[in-house]
Amino acid sequence: MGALCLSMAASLAAGCGVKETTEESGATEEVVIPMILTVDSTTGNRNEEKLIEAFNEEYQGIYRVDVEWIVETEEEYRQNLKRRNVTDELPAVITDLSMLPSFYRMMIQDGRIEDISSYIEEDQEWADMIEPVVLEGCSEPSGEVYLAPISTAAFSCSGVFWNQELFERAGIETFPETWEEFWYCCERLENYGVTPLALHTEGTGWAPMLLATAELADSEAGADFMKELYPESYQNENGLRLANTLDRLFDYTTDDALHVDFDVAYTNFFTGNAAMIPNGYWMIDQIPEGWKDKVRFAPFPGNKLISSPETFGWSIVSSYSDEVKEGAVEFLKFRTRMNQAEKEEMFNQNARGLSPAERDYIQAYQGNPQIVPNYQVKWNSILQEEILGEILPELVQGKITAEEFTRKEDESIQKFEEEQ
Amino acid sequence: MTKRMNSGIQRRYLKYTIALLILALLLSSIGVWAYMTKNQRGIIVDKYEFMGEKMGIALENLYQKSDEVTAECILYDDVQKSLQANGLEEVQKSGLSKYFAYVDMEDVEEYCYVDNHQNIYTRSYSKVSYEEFADSGFARMLGEDYSTTRWFWTEDTLFGTKEPALFIGRYVRNMEYAHEPGMLFFKMKDEFLGRILKSGMNVTNEVAVGILDAEGRVCSLVMSEDCHIPQERIAEAVAKQDGDGMILGGTEVQGGVVSAYRQGDAGMVVFTYVPESVLNQGLTRLLLVLGGIYLMVVAVAVNLSIYFSKRFTKPIQDITEAMTGFDGNDFERTIELHTNTELDQIGHSYNEMLGNIERLLQEIKDQEKELRTSELNMLISQINPHFLYNTLDTIYMLARINKEETTMKMIQALSKYLRLSLNKGNDVVTVEDELENVKSYMEIQQIRNENLFQYEIDCRVDAARTRVLKLILQPLVENAIKYGFCDIFEGGVIRIIVEERERYLQFRVYNSGMPIETEMCEKLNGLSVQPLAKMKELFPDSRHGYGVVNIITRLRLKYGEGVRFYYVAEEDGTSCIVEIPKDGEDDHEMEADIS
Repeated sequence: MGALCLSMAASLAAGCGVKETTEESGATEEVVIPMILTVDSTTGNRNEEKLIEAFNEEYQGIYRVDVEWIVETEEEYRQNLKRRNVTDELPAVITDLSMLPSFYRMMIQDGRIEDISSYIEEDQEWADMIEPVVLEGCSEPSGEVYLAPISTAAFSCSGVFWNQELFERAGIETFPETWEEFWYCCERLENYGVTPLALHTEGTGWAPMLLATAELADSEAGADFMKELYPESYQNENGLRLANTLDRLFDYTTDDALHVDFDVAYTNFFTGNAAMIPNGYWMIDQIPEGWKDKVRFAPFPGNKLISSPETFGWSIVSSYSDEVKEGAVEFLKFRTRMNQAEKEEMFNQNARGLSPAERDYIQAYQGNPQIVPNYQVKWNSILQEEILGEILPELVQGKITAEEFTRKEDESIQKFEEEQ
Repeated sequence: MTKRMNSGIQRRYLKYTIALLILALLLSSIGVWAYMTKNQRGIIVDKYEFMGEKMGIALENLYQKSDEVTAECILYDDVQKSLQANGLEEVQKSGLSKYFAYVDMEDVEEYCYVDNHQNIYTRSYSKVSYEEFADSGFARMLGEDYSTTRWFWTEDTLFGTKEPALFIGRYVRNMEYAHEPGMLFFKMKDEFLGRILKSGMNVTNEVAVGILDAEGRVCSLVMSEDCHIPQERIAEAVAKQDGDGMILGGTEVQGGVVSAYRQGDAGMVVFTYVPESVLNQGLTRLLLVLGGIYLMVVAVAVNLSIYFSKRFTKPIQDITEAMTGFDGNDFERTIELHTNTELDQIGHSYNEMLGNIERLLQEIKDQEKELRTSELNMLISQINPHFLYNTLDTIYMLARINKEETTMKMIQALSKYLRLSLNKGNDVVTVEDELENVKSYMEIQQIRNENLFQYEIDCRVDAARTRVLKLILQPLVENAIKYGFCDIFEGGVIRIIVEERERYLQFRVYNSGMPIETEMCEKLNGLSVQPLAKMKELFPDSRHGYGVVNIITRLRLKYGEGVRFYYVAEEDGTSCIVEIPKDGEDDHEMEADIS
């Protein structure tokens, strides 16, 4: 989750003023496209800054993405999105919608976001850039496309980032390929005084949930369970296995993992306090200087990658004028093209020019991995945003059992259905 | 003044000055009037436009404030919960009803929040039921907006007062799920808008300020009791304008000008109406001041014109009086001017002219006198020559009888000398006669001053046909003997040379005596450039140089300024040179004499 958060954070869009659409620039009017993006609180990097600069340079005098840079965590940003929506202050382009399933549904139902399927159909060039799996992931069953198919499946996978130095300290040369080896690896690291995992419990429990859902998908039943949209119940074998795995994972994490968000886990990993942290491809760009040579990437044990191509969840807000929306569509197309170019560059690049993590990622992506859907786009938002943050610490601390854990999960389903 | 006004120049000067002044004041009055009409009105309009803009910004801030406050309400936890499926418990509802009473916005008279479970949240005493809310029609007031803060001026059918009031309303939507929205309304007191207008009216109480809603209805109005405003015209003018911000700036409407600022989100327009009386009151005062200043300028200008014109007309008058009063005799009546202008030069020239006239008159008188005397002498001389010649012949015969050779010689020379001197009064003679005359004179002098000098005559012209004013050479020879040989007793030489030099006929009389003194030489040579009247003044003593003055005077009178007369001090003597124009020898006067 934290990984997604950061990537999303990269694409984090929060709302800003609605009415400001154009401004005079010399003889022609430049269409201004408001957007909100976050600044990485750890590195100080502005997420998606290169994209914004490239677009503004290419469309100078025609379109300009006017970004309000904010320092917020992913959770803060998403709450910000909701606040700006109800106060009618969303920017023209928002992100992270796929991380907020119920909010996303509400936005569709209230007519707050734009169906861009007609734009894609009318623009063959853009349509050719879009990977079918990505378009499928972004499309509604009835054919509407509210989430922009800007990403490439190659850049949406999550696995485990591991610290090679700490592993070597424990005499481990390679990342474990099976879950048995994974647990053994954790034990061995601990025995050598290395905390194996950087985890957290707040937000949607992104880091532990990535590991736990990947472990769940190691069984055929678990893999099928992960493909379900809005599972009917967690009080079953899959739910119990997930709870037990979560409980076990926290045996190998830092002392400060409870009641904190992903940023704490991120800091623990990049300060050498923990040897592993699960996250997506986008974290490769956020690896601090000096860490590029010792940070490696690996698929989850069992050669699994977690991916949902619609993860980025960029959408266009409907309340803007047609010219701003057209500009926003052009911006999304530009983003699609840029992602494609980056993918081609990366996969065609000589391995010597890549960092170890990049080489590992390409190898993992091309290693015929099992793709496990991202729980964030499959499970109800009440469970993710309200319940997990409460019951995960309780489970870890032994205050509730795995059964109680799954029961509370099911309560979220009931509540979610009521709110729907 | 009366005396000054006697001057025609001054009268005209004053007339033109006053005319120009009046023209200038008239034009400047028109210019000032036009400028001030435009600018004074502009300044006043700008002032109230600025005030209107200020109130408009206050309206903007008020709207912004209402937007923030309603947003805060929307985000309030219990408000959000009230929209969820389970809604609020009774305790929470009670608390939420009170919550709206403490929002950070002044002048809230009533409030009403309706959640999506048909629950009403108002002040405890308001007692509004959901049915009453539904009947009030307020549910339609928020239109199709998603969650925009809306202001509307409408009859209060919600709280039952039936009085028009300003309401602030907004949809309240759930942040998480797509539930039906709730609705929130604040009924505002009159002071809410009135405070904006009163802040503007602090500037002045002479104008009217008000707020119109989107329909052109007056929501709030502040003006003085005696002010009347054309509300419909103002509303029409406002309705014609699109856009937000300052939509009217000093636009003419019936009986005044109006400025207006539209707050687009609220749909409200704050306007300022300035009556014509306010626009013009400054102009009236200005005109009075201007009139006073102009009167002062005229008075000062007239007095200064009289004063300064006097400085020019008074000398002119003096010159005029002097010139018109000159009787031809009183040359002492000169003009004394000290104006530091060209008039001083005129006065000075007049005085010089007066002096010249006086001198000329005197010369004419003197010449007439001399003329009469010489004419008289001439007549006397013409009467007596025969008697004088007969007498000299008799004396000559007696001397011959007595064999007195010297006497005979002297009488013979005298006789020749007198023949030229007395020849019928003609003043032009041939060079031959002139030389004969001077030769006779020199022979007489040789007899008188034995061995004092020898003379030579070298005539290089046709002496019988060349003419010259008579008795020119004799005085020069006389001077040569008298002054040149004053220090010698013998051996002197007098040489007379007559020759033609270019356009001149030159007579040179040389004596070998003491060279003439430089000072005397320069003085004599300077005579030629002196006015005739002044020459005698230079040699008041007739014994010294009077003969020379006589010669020069006669030569200049005869030949004009072409005459050249000068002395040259040489190593062994002195030469006196007389040059007369060759073409002057045959003038009509001479011809008349010959005839």
